[in-house]
Amino acid sequence: MDLDRDVLLQTFLEETQENLAQMEQALVALEASPSDDEAIRAVFRGAHTIKGNAATLGFRAVAEFAHAFEDVLARVRERALAPSTALTSLLLRALDVLREAVPLAVEGAEALPPASEAVREALARAREGALDEGRVAPAGEEARSSPDEHAPLGGGEGRVLEGRTLRVDVDRLDRMLRLAGEIAISRGRLRELLDRDAAARDALETHREADRLFLDLQEQIMEARLVPLGPVFRRHQRTVRDVGLAVGKQVALVVEGDEVEVDMAVVEHLRDPLTHMIRNAIDHGIEAPEARARLGKDPCGRITLRARRDSGSIVMEVEDDGAGLDLERIREVGAARGFDTARMRDADLRALIFASGFSTAATVTDLSGRGVGMEVVRRNVDLLRGTIAVESRPGQGTTISVRVPLTLAIIDGFQVQIGGGGGQTYVIPLDTVVECMELQPSSGERADDHGVIDVRGEAVPFLRLGGVFGLGAGDGEPRARENVVVVKHEDRLAGIAVDALLGQSQTVIKPLSKMFRGLPGVAGSTILGNGRVALILDVPALLREATGRRSAGAGPGPGEAAP
Amino acid sequence: MDVRATDANQSQYLSFFIDGEEYAIGILQVKEIIRYETVTKVPTTPRWIRGVLNLRGLVVPVVDLAAKFGLRETPVTGQTCVVIVETDLDGERTLMGVVADAVSQVLDFRPEDIGEPPPFGTRIRVDYIVGMGKVGKKFVHILDIDGVLSAAELMAVTSATGEPVAEVSGAAPGPAAQEAS
Repeated sequence: MDLDRDVLLQTFLEETQENLAQMEQALVALEASPSDDEAIRAVFRGAHTIKGNAATLGFRAVAEFAHAFEDVLARVRERALAPSTALTSLLLRALDVLREAVPLAVEGAEALPPASEAVREALARAREGALDEGRVAPAGEEARSSPDEHAPLGGGEGRVLEGRTLRVDVDRLDRMLRLAGEIAISRGRLRELLDRDAAARDALETHREADRLFLDLQEQIMEARLVPLGPVFRRHQRTVRDVGLAVGKQVALVVEGDEVEVDMAVVEHLRDPLTHMIRNAIDHGIEAPEARARLGKDPCGRITLRARRDSGSIVMEVEDDGAGLDLERIREVGAARGFDTARMRDADLRALIFASGFSTAATVTDLSGRGVGMEVVRRNVDLLRGTIAVESRPGQGTTISVRVPLTLAIIDGFQVQIGGGGGQTYVIPLDTVVECMELQPSSGERADDHGVIDVRGEAVPFLRLGGVFGLGAGDGEPRARENVVVVKHEDRLAGIAVDALLGQSQTVIKPLSKMFRGLPGVAGSTILGNGRVALILDVPALLREATGRRSAGAGPGPGEAAP
Repeated sequence: MDVRATDANQSQYLSFFIDGEEYAIGILQVKEIIRYETVTKVPTTPRWIRGVLNLRGLVVPVVDLAAKFGLRETPVTGQTCVVIVETDLDGERTLMGVVADAVSQVLDFRPEDIGEPPPFGTRIRVDYIVGMGKVGKKFVHILDIDGVLSAAELMAVTSATGEPVAEVSGAAPGPAAQEAS
């Protein structure tokens, strides 16, 4: 019996989270268009379901709270109350209380969380039409972080009752993918063995056939992990509303391409960056309503979240119709922080907004100004092996595009080796590789960690992996000839000099232990066909290293730059 | 490794040699023992991080305790093995390999068999030792492996410059004074 109740409780939890997420979106929609009957009905339905379920399961406190909530909604439905900003804030607060209270009740708590009392009183006052605008704290900072954490992946979209859809435990999918990864590794090993043995031609043929089938299966598993971005995008309706309210700006959120699907692990990593980019756009991009009116713009600003698929990646854009980046201000702040902004291209200047601790805000507020948010964006996107591009049109707005791979678990890798026979193998993500070339002996002494090569007339900096990683000695005879793998990241080219090129192969990414997190130049690890571990290179980090060295080494000193 | 402690007081320990000295770890923390095979170096980490190895598809870090204790690096011989232990890293159960010159034996200790670590005179930092187990006339250092491999110690890895970090313990005197113990 207990087991049955556990299943029941789990279902209740999941359904409530979905209900709350949908109610939240409906409430925000209702505030924007108070005559939206469907929106008020949706909120009402959700509240009613929660109340009913909670009562059935014996969670009286939750049921009573939901009832009080419902009472107010009924007045709104009867048009006795208007969904004003203050009322919407209160109702959102009430959702937060439920969101917190339901898991607690399931764990056995009989009372509601302490914060609920004030909200309940406010609900009672609101019902009598006596909502005191000033006394209800807006659904503020501390409340805002919670929705995203509790909501299930995929949000309400996972439960399509009419279609032939099945709920699958995420762990189970993870296990399937891990297994697929294991098989990919032994597949590689098998092929290596068969390749070497001339007598095994028939076996190799059969293996190739099986390989094709396996690749198919692997693709199916990866596809099963894809979730639409829609729920993630729409959840930010609340962010936009709350942040806009907090800074006194009117902002509407437009969502495009929300049917685009992406691996759930990628979604996880995009959640925080999205929030930060949206906050940034509202706080720094969108102008105050009066200023917008003076400029002849719609007083209500617009933020567009857009997603599209582009070959193996998805591109996600956050676009605002605000003032655009103030490059002069960025140049100033950057110079004060020791960047050589006088010589920077505009693109590099724009990229500065992602630097750690960088902020053009004159004052630090609750919302922004500490220069942390955009750094989080950069870090998470790097983690996903993605790229960021910023476009800005003065007076018209800013667009930040984030390009990330569709999936995280398996990539095409290019293997290279440092040192001779007993050397170390490293894997470079193939999508960053532009070409490979032989390093001419004239391109600098072997002892140097870095140098410059000529790639079709362009001077491109390169670094010696062995030197940067402090390998070198003791790893077998140095090769007579070195090779350079030319890599590209966000429009920059750089070379990575290695001793040997081993070719490309499918690479299953294995997480590295927590203790190695933040290790410069290493993004992860994988297991090679011979059973050994190889490290996957963090190309963006190495590239920053390479170009950083160039400007430090070859550029004119600060003395020359001075007037 | 199907040995389990028979009562609530953990009483079985696996002992192994590091640089000639016998150390022990509570057996419940030992997952398995494997032969030392090629370990992939991890660049720009201190010398006592040997690298990572493939344990049936898991990528497991390998630590050279001798180097960490400021002793000589463990040379690789036919006897060299890696003791896979489960440890708590920043709130996460993590597998970690410890290089040993050789595995010695499984020891049974009653609580009264284990003495307090001496305040000084040990070759390694005293706070890494939870007790001294007596085996015949010899003492076995019982390691606080969670402490040795604790988050604070290991997380410092990524901020290290790659220079070998030999530890100097406050209480332990130099090798010359070791003779006395």
